[in-house]
Amino acid sequence: MTEVFTSVGRSIPRLEARDKVTGRTEYVHHLRLPRMLYGKIFRSAYPHARIKSVDKSAAEAIEGVFRVVTIDDIRTVIPHPYYGPAFHDQPILADGKTRFSGEPLAVVLAEDPSIAEEAAGLITVEYEEIPAVFDEVEAMTSDVLVHDELKPASTFADLKHLKGRKGTNIALDHKLLRGDPEAGFAKSDFVFEHVFRSQQVMHTPMEPFVSVADVTGDRMTLHTASQGPSFVRIEIARLLGWPENRVRVKVPFLGGGFGGKLYIKLEALVTALSLLVRRPVKISLTMEEQFFMVTRHPCTFRIKSGVNKDGKIIARTCDIAWNGGAYADIGPRVTQKAGFTSAGPYDIENVRIRSSAVYTNRPPAGALRGFGAPQTAWAYERHMDMIAEEMGLDKVEFRRQNLLRDGRPQASGTILVDAAIEKSLDKLLDIMKWNQPFDRGSGRIRRGRGIAVGFKGITSPTTSVAIVNLYADGSCGLFIGTVDMGQGSDTVMAQIAGEVLGFDPTTIKVIHSDTDVTPYDMGTLGSRSTFHMGTAVRLAAEDAKKKLAELAASVGMVPGSNQPISEIFERRYGMRAGNVIGVGSFIPEYQKPDPETGQSLKVTPFWGVGTNGAEVEVDMETCQFTVTKLVNVADIGRPLNPKLALQQLSGAGIMQYGFTTTENMIFKEGQLTNASLADYKIPGLLDMPREWINEFTDSIQHDGPFGGKGAGETTTIALSPAIGNAIADATGVQLMDLPCTAESIFQALKRAKA
Amino acid sequence: MEVAGLRGFDIVEPSSLEEAFGLLGTGDPAVRPMGGGTALMLMMKSELFKPTRLVSLRKLGEPFHGLGESADGKWVRIGALNTFSMLDHSPLMKSHFPIISRTMNTLANLRVRNVASVGGNLAHGDPHLDLPPVWMALDGEVRIVGPSGERVSAVADLYKGYYETTLEEGELITELRVPVKPDWKSSYTKVTTRAAHDWPAIGLAISVQLSGRQIQDLRIVLSAALDKPTRLTAAETVLRGRDIGEALLREAADAATEEVELETDNRGSQEYKTHLLRIYVTRALQDLVSEAAPK
Amino acid sequence: MSDIRTIRFTLNGTKVSKVVEAHETVVDVLTRKFDLSGTRESCRQGLCGCCTIYVDSNPVSSCLMLAWFLDGTDVRTIEGLADGDTLDPVQEAFIEAGAFQCGFCTSGFIMMVKHLLSENPDPSDEEIRHRLAGNLCRCSAYPEIMDAVKIAAAKARSVAKARP
Repeated sequence: MTEVFTSVGRSIPRLEARDKVTGRTEYVHHLRLPRMLYGKIFRSAYPHARIKSVDKSAAEAIEGVFRVVTIDDIRTVIPHPYYGPAFHDQPILADGKTRFSGEPLAVVLAEDPSIAEEAAGLITVEYEEIPAVFDEVEAMTSDVLVHDELKPASTFADLKHLKGRKGTNIALDHKLLRGDPEAGFAKSDFVFEHVFRSQQVMHTPMEPFVSVADVTGDRMTLHTASQGPSFVRIEIARLLGWPENRVRVKVPFLGGGFGGKLYIKLEALVTALSLLVRRPVKISLTMEEQFFMVTRHPCTFRIKSGVNKDGKIIARTCDIAWNGGAYADIGPRVTQKAGFTSAGPYDIENVRIRSSAVYTNRPPAGALRGFGAPQTAWAYERHMDMIAEEMGLDKVEFRRQNLLRDGRPQASGTILVDAAIEKSLDKLLDIMKWNQPFDRGSGRIRRGRGIAVGFKGITSPTTSVAIVNLYADGSCGLFIGTVDMGQGSDTVMAQIAGEVLGFDPTTIKVIHSDTDVTPYDMGTLGSRSTFHMGTAVRLAAEDAKKKLAELAASVGMVPGSNQPISEIFERRYGMRAGNVIGVGSFIPEYQKPDPETGQSLKVTPFWGVGTNGAEVEVDMETCQFTVTKLVNVADIGRPLNPKLALQQLSGAGIMQYGFTTTENMIFKEGQLTNASLADYKIPGLLDMPREWINEFTDSIQHDGPFGGKGAGETTTIALSPAIGNAIADATGVQLMDLPCTAESIFQALKRAKA
Repeated sequence: MEVAGLRGFDIVEPSSLEEAFGLLGTGDPAVRPMGGGTALMLMMKSELFKPTRLVSLRKLGEPFHGLGESADGKWVRIGALNTFSMLDHSPLMKSHFPIISRTMNTLANLRVRNVASVGGNLAHGDPHLDLPPVWMALDGEVRIVGPSGERVSAVADLYKGYYETTLEEGELITELRVPVKPDWKSSYTKVTTRAAHDWPAIGLAISVQLSGRQIQDLRIVLSAALDKPTRLTAAETVLRGRDIGEALLREAADAATEEVELETDNRGSQEYKTHLLRIYVTRALQDLVSEAAPK
Repeated sequence: MSDIRTIRFTLNGTKVSKVVEAHETVVDVLTRKFDLSGTRESCRQGLCGCCTIYVDSNPVSSCLMLAWFLDGTDVRTIEGLADGDTLDPVQEAFIEAGAFQCGFCTSGFIMMVKHLLSENPDPSDEEIRHRLAGNLCRCSAYPEIMDAVKIAAAKARSVAKARP
C-alpha cells in the first residue's frame, strides 16, 4: 500500500525564491548597525614563529583608526582566550607564537573599512622563525611540535584522556578492530597494499565568512553567517563565563556554507572586540582570507587487503593520517567518523583501522561536505579497482561479491539497515549502460570508464528541537535552528510540518535561527537536518495538532470538522487570541564505540549511500582529459522535495568534481601560493561534464520523517575514485593522489614508460 | 613592507595631452595612467600597487579613440581606448582579423571585456595576457606619445621582462596599427591545464603566409610560460620556406622547445609545459595548413 | 586634482548624486551608500560575477570599477529589474528552473543572462556556457541555470510572437 501525501514528496519551489531572484535575501554580508566598527585582520607572515614584538604605532597613527588590538588586549575581556569544538587550542589572536602563515595576529578597528585595511598594512612584527612541519605523515613522528600540550575541550568524553598530553602532534587516534587482520592476511591468497593521498581544498562559499558582534548592557548579540548558532552560543557563553541566556545568536540566510561555517569561526574574535570597545564590530573576510579560516583535511591513507583467489576479501587494514593544520577545529570528529567507515562498504571479517588527527603548520582543517568520507573513498575505491585489475577480476562483480548488505554488521559492529548500496549500484550500472559495448576511442584519444561505491555514517548522538506555533488566525510559524544555506531546509521543514498539520507548506513561516527564540539544534551539518530536525518538526507538528484537537474538544467542537482554526481560538478566548505551541525534540539511539575496538551496536542513526560512475576521454599526447559523463546515484530515503534533493546531489557532485580535478591549495614552504579564485579554480559552467545525471534509488528510511534522510553529502563520497578509475581504464596508469590533473597523468605515463 | 588598502590617492582626468604629460611626469612611480583600469584595480586590490595618483585617459580626445581602415586599406588603426568588446563587435576586425574575436571568446569575461582597453592591456606587461602575443604575431605596432615627442614601436619591442615594458615615464600608447595581410592565416591557442576557464599555461599565437603546403613566412609567439611574450625565431627559421610535413614539424617543435626555457608555476612544471609546447606548435601549424589548403 | 567628488548618475531610473572618495568601488558605494544589497562583492577580482551591474546597458564587475567614473552614467542593478511586483521574465525563469541554491551569486547570473538574451534571443548551449563562464556558483546550480536561460529565452520569444 502506498501512502498518499499532500505536502511532502512534492517539488515545490523554495519558499524564499522570489527574494533570491530580486536580490533582497537577507545575509549578514550586508548588515550594518549604527556605530558599527569594521575590523581588519593582520595576519602572520610565517608558518611557525615566535612573536617577539608587535609595532602598532604606525597603524594607530592613521586618522580614523579607532583601535589596534592584539591578544594582550583580548585577555583583558576574555582571560582564557582559547576556543574550539574538540580542543580549546585556538587563540582568538596569535598568542606568543604563530602556527600557520596567515594566522590572525592583530585587528585594526575603524568606522571606514578601507581605513582599517590601510592601517593593518602598517603593522610590523618581529618574528623568530622556528622549524615547521607541514606533512601529516612526517608530523606523526616529528620533533617539531605545533602545540606544547594537548588541550581537549571537556565537552567530549572520548577526548578527556588526552588532557595534558605532551610531546606529540597527534591530537586523536581513532582505533577500530574487528576479527584478526594479521591472521587474515596470513591465510589470504594475495595481499595488496597501496598509499593514496588527498590534497588540501577549501569550501570557498561565495559569501565569505562574516560575523557581527554587538554588546549592549549585559547582552551579547551575534549576527553571524554560521551553520551552528546553538554551538556558537554555548562556546561564546563559555569564553565569557556568562549564562547562555545573555548570548543571542542570530543567523539569516547563508551564502553557502558546505561545512566551513560550523562550530566557531570569527565569532570569538568579534565578541572580544565588541566587548573591548563597547560598539558593534563587524569582520568580513575577503575571498583570499577564507583560505586561512578552515579547509578540508589533506590525508594520507595506507590501505592493505588480503584477498582470496575467488575474490573474497579476508582482511583489511587502514592507516590514515589526517592533516588537521595548526588547530584541531572539528578534525578529531572527522577522524572518528570517516575512520570507522574507511574500510569501505564491504563485508570484511577482519578489519583494523587507525585514523589519526595530526597537527601541522598549515591552515586549520575541519568539516567539508562529507566529513572525511570522500578522502577515504578515494583510497578504498581506487584500491578495489587496482586489486581487481591485478587479479583479473571483473570490477563490478568483485565489489558485488564483497558488498555489505542490510542485516550484516559493518566494521564497527553496527548492523546495516536501510542502506541501499547494491540497489544504488544496480541503478548506476543501468544508467551507465555498463553491460553494453563501450567505445574505447582511437588514435590519440582513449576513452575509459569507472565506477565507485561509497557510504558514510552520520555524526551521533545529536539533538534537534523544533517549535510549531499556531497563531489564533490559523497561520503557522515554524521555529527551528536549522540554517538554510542553500540546501532548501526552510522549504522541506515547512513541507514536513504542512504534511502533519494539513497546511499548504508555502503558507508556513519558517523563523530563522535566533537563539533567543528558536530552540536548540546541534548544527546544520553532516546530512543530519532532514533526519534529525525533520523528525523534531514532525513531532512538534504532531504535538501542536494534538493540542489543537484538545482545544477544539474543550470548546465543544467536533474533531475533524471543517471549521477554520481561528474559530477554535475565538470560541476559547472570546476573540482571536492565544497560541497553540507544539514542541518536538529528537535524539536518535546511540551506543558509544569501545575506545580500543571501535565496536558499537548503534554507531550511526542512518547511512549515507552513494554510487558514482564516470566516463573520460584522454588525449594521450597532451594528457589533457575531459569527463564526458558523470552519473551519481544516491540513497536518500524518500525524497521529501525531489527537485531540491536532486539539486543537492548535483551541487555536491559538481563541488566534489572540483576537488577531484581542479582544486588544490598549493603551498611553498608553508606559504599558500594560490589564495584567490583566479588561481584556485572552482568549477564553472565550461567545466561541466556534457552528460551529468543524478538519480536516487527508490528507498525509504524506515525511521526517518516520512521515510526521508539526508542528501547533501552522498554524491561527494565516491565521485573522485569513479573518475580516477575511469582515467586508469583509459590510460592504463594509476593515479594515487588527488587532484587528477593532466600533468599527473603525464607524470604517471612517464613513470610507466621508464 | 607594502602598504595595504586602496586609500590615499587622487584621480585626475586631463583633457589634453600636454596636461596629461604634466600630471604624469612627476618622477613618482606611484602615478599611473589609467585606461579601462581593470588590471590596475586588480593590482591595487591585491596590494601589489598603491597609487598616489591615477591619471584617467578617458577624456583625452581623438588620438586614443576610433577604429578604422587606412585609406589604402593596408592597415587598421585601433585607438588605444577601444574596449575589447568594441573590437569584438567591429565588423572590420571580424573581416580582417577573425583571430581576434576567436581569442575574445576565452579571454576573461564579458564584464572585463566591456571595460578593459586595448592600450592598457598592451602597457600592462603581464606575460599571461592573451592579446599581446596575438598582436605580435600580426606584426602590430603601437604609436606612443610622450613629453619628448612621438615614436612608433613594434608590439614585439614593447616588452622587457616580467611586467616590464619599454615605455618611458609619461609615455602613453595612443593607438595600435595592425597590417592587413589577406594571404596570411593566424591562430591563437590558449592551453589551460586546470579549469577550462583559467590563465593559460602556455599561449601560442601563430600567423603564417602559405602557398599550398609551403610556408612563405610566419610568426610564432609564445606567452604565459615566459617572463614576456616571445617570438620563437629558431622554430620560425626551421619552417620558413619549407613544405609542411611530419618531419619538418618535428624539427620545428624541437627548435621551439630548445630555444626557450619555460617556467614552472601552479599551472604546470617546466617539463610538462615544454611537452605541451611541442605538441601545440605542431597541432596549431597543422590546423593552419589544413584550413588554408584542405587536402 | 582631488580625492573626493560628487557623482551624479541615474540609478535604476532615478537621478541620484553622492559624494565619493577616489578609492571607493562601485559595489562599495551601492552597498554602503545606497543600501542596495543585491550587488555583492565576493571574489574581488571580477571573475565570480556576484557584483554584476549594467553601466550604460553593459554588464561590468562593480568591484573593479571606481565609483568616481559613474558620473554621468546610467546604472542598473538587480533591484531595478522587476517592474514593481512583476518580475522580469529572466527572474521568473530562474524560479521556474530552480536555478539557485544559496542565492548569493543569483543577481549576477540573472544580470548576465538578461543581457545575453537581449543580444541573442536564442543562444546555443555553447554560447550560454561561454557567456556565463565568468560567473561562479559554488552551490553549482549550473544545470538548472542552463535550463533557466532556455526557459527565459522561450518566454521572451513567445512574448515577441504575441506582439502584433
